Amino acid sequence: MTPVAVMVGANRIVSAAGIIHPLGSADLSPEDEKALRRRIVEQALQALRTEVAKPTVFGRE
Amino acid sequence: MAAETLRVVCYLNQFFGQLGGEDKAGVGPQVVDGAIGAARAVQQALGDAGTVVATVICGDNYAAEQAERATTELVALVAAARPDLLVAGPAFLAGRYGVACGALCAAAQAELKIPTVTGMHAENPGVELYRRQVYVVQTGAEATRMLPEVQRLVALGLKLARGEAIGAPAAHGYFARGVTRNIVAGANAADRAVAMLLDKLAGRAFTTEVPRPAFPPVAAPRLVKTLAGATIALVTDGGLVPRGNPDGIEALNATRYGAYSIEGKSSLDAAQYDNPHRGYDTTWVKQDPHRLVPVDVARELEQSGAIGKLHETIYSTVGVATTLAQSARMGREIAEKLRAAGVDAVILTST
Amino acid sequence: MRLELRWSDVDEVTAAPATRLVGTRLEVDLAELRELLSADSRLARIRLELARPGERCRIGRVFDVIAPRAKAEGGEDFPGVLGKVARAGHGRTSALDGVAVVATDQQTDNVGTLAVIDMAGPNAALSAFGRTHNLVIAAWPSPSTERSDYLAAVRLAALKTAVHLARTAREADPDRVDVFALSPSPRVPPELAHLPRVAYVFQIHSHQRPTGLDEGILYGDPVRRMLPTIVHPNEVLDGAVLRGFMGRSVTTWAIQNHPMIRALYAQHARTLWFAGVVVTVAQATEPERVRSAFLTAGLVAHTLGADGAVLTKIGGGAPHVDMAQAAAQCEALGVKTTAVVEDMSTDGSAEGMLLFDFPGVDALVNVGSSQEPITLPAMDRVIGADDLASKLLGETRATYGGLCGAIEQVGATRVMAEVR
Repeated sequence: MTPVAVMVGANRIVSAAGIIHPLGSADLSPEDEKALRRRIVEQALQALRTEVAKPTVFGRE
Repeated sequence: MAAETLRVVCYLNQFFGQLGGEDKAGVGPQVVDGAIGAARAVQQALGDAGTVVATVICGDNYAAEQAERATTELVALVAAARPDLLVAGPAFLAGRYGVACGALCAAAQAELKIPTVTGMHAENPGVELYRRQVYVVQTGAEATRMLPEVQRLVALGLKLARGEAIGAPAAHGYFARGVTRNIVAGANAADRAVAMLLDKLAGRAFTTEVPRPAFPPVAAPRLVKTLAGATIALVTDGGLVPRGNPDGIEALNATRYGAYSIEGKSSLDAAQYDNPHRGYDTTWVKQDPHRLVPVDVARELEQSGAIGKLHETIYSTVGVATTLAQSARMGREIAEKLRAAGVDAVILTST
Repeated sequence: MRLELRWSDVDEVTAAPATRLVGTRLEVDLAELRELLSADSRLARIRLELARPGERCRIGRVFDVIAPRAKAEGGEDFPGVLGKVARAGHGRTSALDGVAVVATDQQTDNVGTLAVIDMAGPNAALSAFGRTHNLVIAAWPSPSTERSDYLAAVRLAALKTAVHLARTAREADPDRVDVFALSPSPRVPPELAHLPRVAYVFQIHSHQRPTGLDEGILYGDPVRRMLPTIVHPNEVLDGAVLRGFMGRSVTTWAIQNHPMIRALYAQHARTLWFAGVVVTVAQATEPERVRSAFLTAGLVAHTLGADGAVLTKIGGGAPHVDMAQAAAQCEALGVKTTAVVEDMSTDGSAEGMLLFDFPGVDALVNVGSSQEPITLPAMDRVIGADDLASKLLGETRATYGGLCGAIEQVGATRVMAEVR
């Protein structure tokens, strides 16, 4: 849960695909699901390259 | 009842123990029979309810500079007097003294299993350091009204020593210890909520029943390497474990975490994994563990050179109803292991 | 809209050859009732038992508790789930005071999720259901019945029972009549226009676990894709909202007697103007939570024109944050809020009480810690939990959350966590 991550002071936060499957979705085809996962991981890598001074949420549409 | 009067030990610094001023701040722990210096006020406040059998004294600098050793030595002196209650200070606004009082009380409670009480001014650093473990009674900044202050310490100390129920912080004048206990309120929660809202709307003072959380800021480290040269680890609090849960990670309120090798794996075989997490429906993650721990995608990124290396160990625990203390400890331990293994960055996936 | 709850007091419930209300004694033909409930092919075997206040009896495996209610003249009972889909909240409804229908869960393999009701001893006073005469339903699934179908069948049996019992009061002169009448929110009489307008934001369900198609919650709808919407408070009182199957620390009984709606009605036109109820669900993903939060705040601020709002949650951690996000959006639109939270700490540390920290969300009431241990004293008999009877008969340990009715997240209870 993004607000919890912000509150406890996690610095780089990527908003993912939900509690029951943060890095996937049962509603998508296997290919689309993996593409979604790859997007989220790439957002995480992008966040790692970004300097932040306080809890920052990345990838919110 | 006189035969059953309480044995009380007092702890004082060099000044209140009448050894001297700052020039005597380096003196080590020592013990005097009976009450001396400020401990006489404790005896006076006790009256017939107890006897100060010994006064333990230590210099402020000794206690601050060799804190661990001082505490060990002081606990031994306190133990030798076989007290039913330890009264430390009051330390007022004296920082070194306050910290020493808190440390000794915490140690005496833990090791000697005796109740303790101390007293300080709100701004004494000892308050923030020790109020969670120790009953710290609020005092003024200076020892201008010693007896009434000591009377409040002793009143609370006697209740503790007699095993009586301790009321709310405001009732006894101690700093909130930051522990919660269920009580039965006078009105139901709905009525209290409506009353509080009416106060808030009218601009009247209201008291929230839940303090705001105060989490210290966490410094954000910079990734100094490029991603192509960095080792990335995967960590999760979503409960992924090998089938059979070999580390026995708890379904909630976890105290354990596991380290699991993904060496030679380009993906995770659902048949080899399980998930004990009770905070969400794990059906989908059990069907495909990548929905929680993205080993498949991370391997591809490793092979394509987008990241230098995927760390061969994943760490996993269950994050539901997990205490802050356990979370902090597990996080610290995992971080130490990752750092020792040369990991540069972590992607932690959470449910 | 005007609703009358016509209360008949009951101080004794007995098994008898016919189901009827004789003064304050409710007589129940248990064989006839069992026959009625047995029509559901999802249930193989049904046992009905009575437990009375003061009796050294423990009810185990409690799934939900329903208040006996029946529409007095036409109208649908529990519309959308038991009765046809139709608006609730108007007309006359018969209600029995002092009686509850307790549904138990005979399918779970997990002994860790038991909730109990004590009819005597210190814990009886903590729960409304320690003070009611309880008709306890234990129903076992027929062989092929799946979990969600079973729970739907058990709840339906409890609703049927609640209506069956309350129908005995339809011909009786009520002991008390509660009238709930609230005119449309924009029509405030000029002499009351100075009162602050207060809305209630009622989170009725959480999607942190998947919701079954059969899990009728709002007029029978499983609220799977529900966006925040406005209902009349009387609809909530009159059976339009039922607890979902996984509802934690909330019972349907508490919703039927909704303490927040009653508290707002009690102050209505005196110290505040009750502007209406927004029902919401706790969402599972961040975009859904954000969307739900600002839509909720929009309804509260722009449609109901409220100056203040009280909020409650259901379920655990995700709903707690979801509610707080809605409160923060209300505050951002200038609507003052108070919210009712559980103490989320699991080790009794004040630092762990909350999972959020939003500007303006600074007025919080708590319903206690469900994790705090509590001792269950020895009892003379256990009903509703044959498999656990030996454990539940003697003195045992539980938590406040495991004592059904000790913590009602909608605010019906007095237990609170105090910081010390």
